[in-house]
Amino acid sequence: MQFGRGGKPSAGAFFDTDFATVDCVLAVSLLHGLQGKNDCRVAIVTMSRPNLQVAGFADALERFYRGPAAVFAQVPPIGMRTAGKAGDTPAAFTVPFDKKNAEGKPVLVNKVHSVIETGDPNTLFRNYLEAQNDQNAFFVLAGPATNLAAALDFKGVKALLVAKVKYLVIAGGSFPGGTAEANVKADVTAAKKLIAEWPTPIIMAGSEVGAAIAFPGASIDKEFAATPDHPAAAAYRAWKPMPYDSPSGALAAALYATRPKEGYFKVSEPGIVTVHDDGRTSFAPAANGKHQYLMADSAQQEKVVQAYVELASAKPVIQQRFRPPVAADAKKPADAADKLVPPPQP
Amino acid sequence: MITRKALPRRTFLRGLGSAGIALPFLDAMSPAFAATVKAPVRMAFFYVPNGMIMDSWVPSYEGKFQALPRTLKAMEPYKDDMIQIGNLTHNTGRALLDGAGDHGRCSGSYLTGVQVKKSLIDIKNSISFDQIVANEIGKQTRFPSLELGMEDARQAGDCDSGYACAYTNNLSWRSETQPLPPILDPRALFERMFGKGVPMTPEEKTRQAKYRRSILDFVTDDTHKLEVTLGPTDRRKLDEYLSSIREVERQIERVEKDHSELDPQKFGGGTGVEKPYGIPADFAEHFRMMANMMAIAFQADQTRIITFLMTREGSSRPYRELGIPDGHHPLTHHRNQEDLIEKVRQINEYHVRQFASFVEKMKSTKEGDGTLLDSCMLVYGAGLSDPNAHLHEDLPTIMVGKGGNYFKTGRRVVTRRETPMCNLFLTMMDRMGVKVEDFGDSNGRLEGLDLA
Repeated sequence: MQFGRGGKPSAGAFFDTDFATVDCVLAVSLLHGLQGKNDCRVAIVTMSRPNLQVAGFADALERFYRGPAAVFAQVPPIGMRTAGKAGDTPAAFTVPFDKKNAEGKPVLVNKVHSVIETGDPNTLFRNYLEAQNDQNAFFVLAGPATNLAAALDFKGVKALLVAKVKYLVIAGGSFPGGTAEANVKADVTAAKKLIAEWPTPIIMAGSEVGAAIAFPGASIDKEFAATPDHPAAAAYRAWKPMPYDSPSGALAAALYATRPKEGYFKVSEPGIVTVHDDGRTSFAPAANGKHQYLMADSAQQEKVVQAYVELASAKPVIQQRFRPPVAADAKKPADAADKLVPPPQP
Repeated sequence: MITRKALPRRTFLRGLGSAGIALPFLDAMSPAFAATVKAPVRMAFFYVPNGMIMDSWVPSYEGKFQALPRTLKAMEPYKDDMIQIGNLTHNTGRALLDGAGDHGRCSGSYLTGVQVKKSLIDIKNSISFDQIVANEIGKQTRFPSLELGMEDARQAGDCDSGYACAYTNNLSWRSETQPLPPILDPRALFERMFGKGVPMTPEEKTRQAKYRRSILDFVTDDTHKLEVTLGPTDRRKLDEYLSSIREVERQIERVEKDHSELDPQKFGGGTGVEKPYGIPADFAEHFRMMANMMAIAFQADQTRIITFLMTREGSSRPYRELGIPDGHHPLTHHRNQEDLIEKVRQINEYHVRQFASFVEKMKSTKEGDGTLLDSCMLVYGAGLSDPNAHLHEDLPTIMVGKGGNYFKTGRRVVTRRETPMCNLFLTMMDRMGVKVEDFGDSNGRLEGLDLA
């Protein structure tokens, strides 16, 4: 079966990050906002550092957007690398769990207390790629290339990438040339491997793009306020003293990956990206090159910021994929239809 | 000077006609002063359909067993011999672009670890892991493997949203296109085990029925000759073993007698399918007969590999013996209605009770210095977890037996989410002495189960 009755589904989004900057959190929200507009389907979120607290927040954020497991669907686990350093745990990943509602219950529950509540990134890549239509998925990387480089050597993944994935958008590097950028520098070996071996086109959103168009912190108390207890807003507030505007590299990568034809950014001619030993990146134009990089377009700045805010602050759209559950006291179907409550997560 | 010669392990009691009875392991089979002969490792899969009510299957803890959850209560006496494994996943049971048909996919891929082809005619699966093991070690036993079941062995037709019945009605696959249909009829299994390996001819059946003779009667001479060479322990062991065979025979005869007096249309348990002559209408009795023969097959080392489809995936069998006239499968789409959930819980418990009776049989059968159970890996599980949601992760799985003093039992082990079920199969293949690096969608062996 190629497509169901609804035609070709929106593209599957794979987001890999280390959650080292707050725009990585906002990028998850943005992708879910785009999902709510049927522009993509968030497949999985994976992490390239073994930090259970951060994974717990990421998992809670996913549950916030996806709701309890729906019939014939489930909330996928956060993929988490188990090797390497756990790194910092900013208050942004702990403070949101502290808030209580009027009944004294936490508004956000951390369900990740052990590595068993996460998944192996490679296995998740494979499992969720297998569920995508051909050439109907994309990857966004906003962190070190560690996970994606490792996936290239995992049984079956490379063939799936060729079959299913249109492109990879990386928030990282500096273009057309510049100093070493943090995401690349964090794992130069993996970045080199990824750039050299990744089988699809790659589009780089260098640090200059994220710096040029900042995410407006003021929106946290305005647009995000429409959704009470929004975990991303709570994380943003806890990241550092408000008010502040955040660089938006991860947001730029996620937005371009989902809406590449909207003209939010200028795109370079094709070429070849090189990762140097010291973590610097450079770009050389080449007619057959499969790499490109994004450039901020001052004429589009307002439109881009509007998209960031509108999409990242969008209310969750819980997808009901099957018949709603019948209320225990329902007498007729119409009664049940009024109570569209997804079944609880087993 | 020691002059006694050891009895060969493959000694049969032979008689007239088709009779031939393999023996259990006896002390006389160990050469004097030799080190204790190690029992072979055996494995069996007991598959139950339509998932489980998971809140009654999963306890609230990990590690050493405390009180077992409701569905597993019948396993309480055997919990020290059991491991419950959490979070095993069969990704290949998921839709993966193939649309509806979770039941067809999950059972088809349960032991093969590949996504089956959605088709009614062009059937395509893969060799199941039990058959990889059977191909490697099967020559050491009379039957490389036994495929058994209790409900439906149809191979043709649509059993789930475009998936052929071959996917729901078989667990074992010899190749991509060749399933191994289960034996459902206790008489057919008995004759396979104690006959020539094929059902008796009509003449043989007539002769045996006419004289109401037991299969044991045909081997009386051989039995007497053997008994005089055995010590008292072996004589008792032999007597118990032959008594268990006789008991199975009696059960079969009783069922056949009952059936001859009943309307065959009623045998199907309300499924509308007429059961073949000899298959008990009563689920528990049918299970008991099959289980007794499974125990004998392991005890006599007739096989080391059994797959057992308790009922087929998607089964709509009613359980009137529990006061549940509704079909099993429709009930599992309970839409969170507590009365329906309760009925499914009762069915889940009922199935586990049957399995527990088999475990009891295995545990009470002595072998060497331990019991028959010690050398086994008896896996009981389902291809779906939450049946209402058709989830393919955290598949209900318990393994009973230590696999030859290897597994650290008496506890619940939870793996990472999305851990492939095929990892368990790799570990089990290791225990069976079959080294395979990769199977299905495995990403390694299942760690943390052993005594290390």
